[in-house]
Amino acid sequence: MADASAIYHQAIKSLASDAVGHGALAAPDARAFLDNPLCGDCVEMQVTTLRSGAISALAHHVRGCLLCRAAASVIGKHATGATAADIERVSAGVIELLQKQAPAPAGWEELAVFAPVHGHPSRYRCVQLPFEALLAALRST
Amino acid sequence: MKWAFYERLQTAIAAGGSTAVVTRLSDGAQALFDGTRWDGALALDDDQRAGVQRMLIGDRSGILPGSDQLFVRSYARPPRLIVVGAAHISQFLAPMAALAGFEVVVIDPRRAFATTERFAGVRLINAWPDEALETLKLDSTCAVVTLTHDPKLDDPALIAALNSPAYYVGALGSTRTHAKRVARLTEAGVGDKVARIHAPVGLDLGGRAPREIAVSILAEVVQVRYKGAN
Repeated sequence: MADASAIYHQAIKSLASDAVGHGALAAPDARAFLDNPLCGDCVEMQVTTLRSGAISALAHHVRGCLLCRAAASVIGKHATGATAADIERVSAGVIELLQKQAPAPAGWEELAVFAPVHGHPSRYRCVQLPFEALLAALRST
Repeated sequence: MKWAFYERLQTAIAAGGSTAVVTRLSDGAQALFDGTRWDGALALDDDQRAGVQRMLIGDRSGILPGSDQLFVRSYARPPRLIVVGAAHISQFLAPMAALAGFEVVVIDPRRAFATTERFAGVRLINAWPDEALETLKLDSTCAVVTLTHDPKLDDPALIAALNSPAYYVGALGSTRTHAKRVARLTEAGVGDKVARIHAPVGLDLGGRAPREIAVSILAEVVQVRYKGAN
């Protein structure tokens, strides 16, 4: 097992504390709530979308670990303008990055901060949960 | 007792909190404590108030020790034990505490642990501890114990408990674990209150098995209820 402190590096801590996108929308078109029953992390994701399906606004409320909060923050920074198909691609890219050390998906290079999580399979879901919640919200529109 | 005072007493009891009435026997002047606030014409000093609260926590009525004419009538609700973390120790602690007369609530957002199969007959709340504690409206007859094994969940629970009138706050973990916890809680702004935390949790009975640690915790929760923190 790799050193656990390696996954809590400064970029992760900064992303988590910045909590980009944290909050709630006045009139979301869709929302989804997902939790991880094993660790208690939970994510509420709210979106408004354009006619094209692209995300026009997004807000999230996360109770969870640093990794989960940092992942939600990356979404807050980069997801506006993306469609459900884009988020599906990025979400699959996150899994590739975690499991196979693949490079971060194009346009989402910041996800490389999660590369050290590769050595901690029990924590993959911490990073994935906000993406799963966003996808669930987009699919419900 | 004046009618208006009686109505205040009824309201306080109906609100579900533990309530004490103090009567000065020489002239009948009264004070009412509803678990958080003092009311009434009779003024008490800080020591007297602390003494009344100790009697209320233990559901005892009678002459306030150290005074010869202050009569305390306690209307205590059953003490509550709030167990944060549906862990192995909690599976023993919850039924033991219920047998010992506590209203027991187990809080854990981890649905895989907080299941009715593991906690038959126990009130379970699947929510983040600080949010759950907010809804439980902790008062001075509450004891809070954190047993999640995860600072992510224990810390917010401890912050909420330390900012409440709960008479007992305990946290599982070694002395070393507790030192790190104190550093985090100090950074979170409750450094002036961390001394209230009983850690390592429970009386030192020597046992290390989960069911034995549960006995240690319950013993300490009862001891502090009657004898105070020291």
